[in-house]
Amino acid sequence: MAVIKGYNMPDELYYHEEHSWARVDGKKVTVGMTDMFQKEAGDIVFVDLPEEEDDVEQGETCGKIQSRKWIGKLVAPVSGEIAEINEDLEEDTSLINSDPYGKGWILVIEAEDEDDLADELENLIHGDAVSDFIDKEIEKTEAEKAKA
Amino acid sequence: MLSTQEGLAIDDTLPQSVALHHSPPILHLYTFVPSVIVGKYQDIEAALRLERCQARGIAVNRRSTGGGTVIMGPRVVALGLGINVDYPGLKKGVGGVFESLSRVLIHALQWVGIEACFQPKNDLEAAGKKIAGLSAASEADNSLLFHTSLLVDFDVSLMLDIMNTPLVKVRDKGYNCFSQRMTTVREQLGHDLSVESMMEAIQQAFEQEFGIAFQEDRPDPWEQQTIQHYIQNRYTKREWIFSHKHPRSRMGVGQLKSQGGLLEIYLSLSGASIESVLITGDFFSTSAQIHRLENALKWTSARPEHIEKNLKSVWEKDMIYGVDLPTLTQAILLAKENQVRL
Repeated sequence: MAVIKGYNMPDELYYHEEHSWARVDGKKVTVGMTDMFQKEAGDIVFVDLPEEEDDVEQGETCGKIQSRKWIGKLVAPVSGEIAEINEDLEEDTSLINSDPYGKGWILVIEAEDEDDLADELENLIHGDAVSDFIDKEIEKTEAEKAKA
Repeated sequence: MLSTQEGLAIDDTLPQSVALHHSPPILHLYTFVPSVIVGKYQDIEAALRLERCQARGIAVNRRSTGGGTVIMGPRVVALGLGINVDYPGLKKGVGGVFESLSRVLIHALQWVGIEACFQPKNDLEAAGKKIAGLSAASEADNSLLFHTSLLVDFDVSLMLDIMNTPLVKVRDKGYNCFSQRMTTVREQLGHDLSVESMMEAIQQAFEQEFGIAFQEDRPDPWEQQTIQHYIQNRYTKREWIFSHKHPRSRMGVGQLKSQGGLLEIYLSLSGASIESVLITGDFFSTSAQIHRLENALKWTSARPEHIEKNLKSVWEKDMIYGVDLPTLTQAILLAKENQVRL
C-alpha cells in the first residue's frame, strides 16, 4: 500500500489518467475511482452506471459520477464486457469516499482476451510511474493556485 | 428569449465544439422562456408540481449538469460556458473550477454594485442569501460545461406554487423562508437593472479574469447540426425529461423543543445524500448563520457521522441562541428518521 503525498495509491493497481483504477484478476478487472479523485470531488451523491453485458472500450466514458453539483466521468481503464456492477452503491454512494479501493468498487469488466488485456494495461499508469502521475496532478493544481 | 430545448441544446454543444471542433472557449449568455429546469439526476416528479407548471404555462426540462431545480425566465440570466479544463487561468479540480468561475461572477456583481461571495460548495451569496447557483459537468475529452443562473429579479410565489418543496407544507412560512434565503440583483441594488446590463458585466468580468476578448459569433453549420441533434434526441424526448435515472427522493420533518425554542427541520434527501435542509423554528439567529449551517449540509452524505462533522466545520458558539450542536444534529437526524417519499 503506497501513500503518495497524502493520497492512498495501492501498488498492485493500474491507474487511468482520468483517475479510475483497475485491479486485475485473470480476465476480470475490478474498477473504481482513486483516493485522489474522491478527496477532490467530495461527497459522491450519485453514480450513473452502464448495464451489465454492455461493451466498453478502453478510455471510453462508461459512467457518470455526481458530487456536489458537478457531474464527472467514469472512464473505462480497459476494454471488455461489464460483468458486474456494485449494487451497494445504489443505497450508499459514500462507499466511494469511505473505502475507494474496497467496498467502494464500482464495476467489473471482463476482458475478451488476456493478451489484449495485457497490451491495454501497458497504457495505464503503474508501479514507479504512479508517483510521477500524482506529482504532476498536484503541480497542475499548485500552478493555477499560484497564478490566482 | 430561448425555449428550454434550444437553450439547453446550445449549451450542450459548447463543450463538444471546444473538444471536437477546435473552438476556443464559448460563453453563451441568454434568457429562457418562463420555465423550470431540474438537474441531470433529479427526480422531476418529486421535485415539481407538474400539474401547476402546466396550468401556469411553465415549460419543464432537464439539464445535463448536476444540482437541483432552477426557475428560469426573462429576468434570470442563464449562462453556459464550454471550456477546456486545462485552459490557462482556470483552477484545477472540482472545487477549483467552481472557485475560478464564481470569481468571475463576483467581479461582475461588483461592477453593478453588489458585494457577493462564493459559498462553498456551489452558490454565490450576497448579504448572506443565494443570488446565483452554479453547476457543471465534465464532457468530451477535457472539456467542461459550466452552468449558472443569476437572479436579476425573481417571483417567489411562482416558485412556491410549482416546486414540490417541503415548504409547500408550511405555506404560511414559505414566502419568508425563501425570501430569507434567496436574493436578487434588484433587491440588493434597491432598484431595477436590465438583464442586458448584467450580461455585459459578466462578459467583461470573463474578459478581465482570463485576459481575453470575446467575439460575438453564431453557431457554424457543424454546431447547428449538433444543436439540432440535441433538440431532437434529448430535450424534446420524454425519456430524457422524465428520466428515472436518479436517486430516490425523500423528505422528512423533524421537530424538537430546545432551550432556545422549537426547532423545525425540513430535510430533502436524494438517495443517501442531503439535497437540501431548512432550519426553521422559534429560536433566535440570523438568516446568514442559518444559511451557513444549511449550506454545510447541502449535497453531502446523510450518514450521522457526516452530518455531525459537516455541522461542526462551521459551528460557532451561539450561532442559534439557546441551541447547541448536539440538539441541532438530533433534530436533523429526527427529520431523516421521519423521511417519506414526496
